Amino acid sequence: MLTREEWLPLARKLDWDYSYVREDEVFPEVISGRPWLPRSEWKDWEESFKTSYREYVDNQYEKDMAVQAVHDAVGRIENVEKLALPWLNSLKVHAAALPLAEFTGVIGNLRGARFGRDSAWRTMATFGALDEYRHTQIPLLLFHPLLRLDSQFDWAHKFYHTNNWFAVAARHFFDELTVGQNAIEFHIATNVVLETGFTNLQFVGLASLARESSDHMFERMVTSIQTDEARHAQIGHPVLATIMKHDPKYAQYLVDKWFWRNWRLFSILTGLSIDYLTALDQRPYSFKEFMEEWIIDQFLRTLDEFGLEKPWYWDLLLDELDIYHHMIYASAYSYRATLWFNFVIPGPAERKWLRQKYPKYWDDMDAVWEQISERWRTVGPGSANELAVHGTTMPTFCDLCQLPLSAGTPRNNTARVLAHDGRKYIFCSEPCQWIFLREPERYASHKDIVKRVLSGEAPAQLPNLLTEYFNLTPDTWGKDVHNGDYEWLGVRKDSAA
Amino acid sequence: MPVPLYGFLQGDTVGLLILADDSDTLEALARKLQLAASLRVAATDPLRLVYHDKIMDLAMTVAQAGLEALDRFDVLSGSK
Repeated sequence: MLTREEWLPLARKLDWDYSYVREDEVFPEVISGRPWLPRSEWKDWEESFKTSYREYVDNQYEKDMAVQAVHDAVGRIENVEKLALPWLNSLKVHAAALPLAEFTGVIGNLRGARFGRDSAWRTMATFGALDEYRHTQIPLLLFHPLLRLDSQFDWAHKFYHTNNWFAVAARHFFDELTVGQNAIEFHIATNVVLETGFTNLQFVGLASLARESSDHMFERMVTSIQTDEARHAQIGHPVLATIMKHDPKYAQYLVDKWFWRNWRLFSILTGLSIDYLTALDQRPYSFKEFMEEWIIDQFLRTLDEFGLEKPWYWDLLLDELDIYHHMIYASAYSYRATLWFNFVIPGPAERKWLRQKYPKYWDDMDAVWEQISERWRTVGPGSANELAVHGTTMPTFCDLCQLPLSAGTPRNNTARVLAHDGRKYIFCSEPCQWIFLREPERYASHKDIVKRVLSGEAPAQLPNLLTEYFNLTPDTWGKDVHNGDYEWLGVRKDSAA
Repeated sequence: MPVPLYGFLQGDTVGLLILADDSDTLEALARKLQLAASLRVAATDPLRLVYHDKIMDLAMTVAQAGLEALDRFDVLSGSK
């Protein structure tokens, strides 16, 4: 009988020469990716984990049992009820955004499992698909039952099936990243940029944030997911190294494009969780400090390792660390009924902390929060006044990232209009416009929420838009966690008229 | 005739869709944006409207100024 050391290399490297079809018919460029290279250029593809299926199943079983044990011990509704309200809403954000995004990762990995150019790559992508299926099922299992506590947790299943504006943005991102992608771009964009650059480290940071918030269930879940990511993220590195050898300009483009697209989405998911939806005394760092320590430094090391340059927009991105997620949060607060989770206004202590962490533009953000607070003082706290402290005019969205036009600074919004092939487009920033212009055939026909309203595809009146198009109800749409009843506002609910 | 425009009020955190009438004066258009953003930004005077990098005469109408559907305009506060 062969030993593991004897059979595993044979099983992993099981490529052969085709006799009755051409190689480019087995691996067409359109779905395997470009540049199309003969098998001789891929035969040395290698990764360090070299896992067998049996070992994979044994390891995953152990990890699943560990998650189940923590769930049984501290994951019941009565445990979740004890969490701080802002953090509970951070959970709702992740409960919706995570599971079905991970499911799209199953599809992307299966594309690699069939159209990857080396058998060891295809084997690892098969494990990657199983990983992503696990990352779909675990959060669904943990979060969706919480709808008995709070009906907004229904969005764990529902989110990606709606036309909610944030779901439209997330689908636009993940559909391009995974569902509609060729194997080469998928593995570079997902494994190298998203996982090595963002989620692998972001999950370490999120686990620490969850621990500080006494949410041991979420901490265990993201830690368990992170161990899978660390393994399957390795698929992308030898893919990128090969593309760098044959077409370094294209490799640079893919990295530049996907780092920006990832930044847009993750600055919202993680930025809001760290700087607004975690109690002040439980914040281990600011979002900017987290980005600088965990994401920026690591990404620059990865670029260096592959001989890549910093993206051309690097200075702009560093500037955005100070302001972008703050503009998004204030905008989202003032349109909170368009979302499925609740918000909190930063009070004087939080604003003092935010000023210390973000001195560059905080004066402008502070003025916005003061104005919103003043509206609550005027109308008085209480759920009946929620919509009196809410925007009524349609906000606008970027034609590339599909997120609100909230880039630049409050003094100088960087949105830009572009006329292209007889149509007008608007982009939140120069990098979003640059990505559009590199591949307009990919993006041009997609309608953002504003264009859908103007074409009659979506209702123009806000209440109809919320209920008929965003799939929200008065029970589930977002509110102020305290309905404006903050001691520091000086107008308490009991004393309000 | 209604003209949907992207309006950006200085001090605000998001652009807004402003439905103008082509017979509206630019002052009325600027006031519409100020009102739409008043939850986040206090309205102040004097105001200026910028279109294609030019400060516009507030007495002009939307049609006279040449604003077309899905154009961007900015409203700034202060007299500079």
